[in-house]
Amino acid sequence: MHSTLVRTQNVFGFFTTVAFVVAALIAASDIVASRTPKASVVVKDVSVVMGRANYYAKKKEEFANIRFSMSADLSSLFTWNTKQVFVYVSASWPNSTSSEPSNEAVIWDTIITNPSADHLQNIGPAAMKKLKRSAKGKPIDPSRGKIELKNQKPKYQVSVPSGKIAHTNDVVLEVHYNVQPWVGVLTWTPQIEFLGWKKMKGGVSKVFSLPAVKVKKDSTKKN
Amino acid sequence: MADEMLEKVRDLAEGQIDFEGQRFAEFLATALLTIVGALSFIVGFTKQDIKLALMYGLGGTALTMALIVPPWPFFNRHPVKWLPVGGIKKQSQGISVDGQIVG
Repeated sequence: MHSTLVRTQNVFGFFTTVAFVVAALIAASDIVASRTPKASVVVKDVSVVMGRANYYAKKKEEFANIRFSMSADLSSLFTWNTKQVFVYVSASWPNSTSSEPSNEAVIWDTIITNPSADHLQNIGPAAMKKLKRSAKGKPIDPSRGKIELKNQKPKYQVSVPSGKIAHTNDVVLEVHYNVQPWVGVLTWTPQIEFLGWKKMKGGVSKVFSLPAVKVKKDSTKKN
Repeated sequence: MADEMLEKVRDLAEGQIDFEGQRFAEFLATALLTIVGALSFIVGFTKQDIKLALMYGLGGTALTMALIVPPWPFFNRHPVKWLPVGGIKKQSQGISVDGQIVG
């Protein structure tokens, strides 16, 4: 500590240690906050149509369109250490050879930011202004964890490598989430309960089947 | 003249402090940074605001830097009292060269 340079190095060196310890404490504080998410998802309209994966695709495949309604309360996931929560709805169904659901496809997703991470959202300036204003002065906004979707159109259609998805049985929709903290590890919908972290309450739809391929009325008329 | 000024600038840049000052600076740096760390976590946790925690942490560290790094006068209050050169009072041996006493 005898000269300016040595003092600068010592203070900075100990600062890095303190910063690391505080970061570890912040990450550990997640465990204290209980997580009690709940959701319900209902399948609305299901259709299977023929289509091409892209404009130049030679093969026509079957695509499943699953409309759904969802009501979710993920507000307990929003703490001071939450950067954003990724919410996604998947459709899963078993293989013909096993009863375990071994096929899973995401049909809808969204990113919910905590106000501390609003500036990271990839949206236009007008929407950004609105988003920032919605949580002005609030460091966290758990009300953003409440999602209500009525007869929501899927973002992604489901297709399979074989190209045949019609008449698939035992399909269920499931709501999942992924919490992305400022400091710490990513956590997904837990499969086991751990201290205050509960499993998702509900969040699974009734079992349903995909219908036969929809026949286009227009094309039959023209032919 | 130029040498003297250079010496002053060098002294100021080097910022040497005395031994007691070094002990005090070490203690102060450790204590302040620990307090800043604890405070930033507590404030952030109670206010549930991670940006506030970051601001407290960085701000507190900057203040600590400002307090520890420059050679403030309170780090130089116990200057080392050196013994006189040779340690004993000089006595003339009465050696004279060209009429001048040299040792």
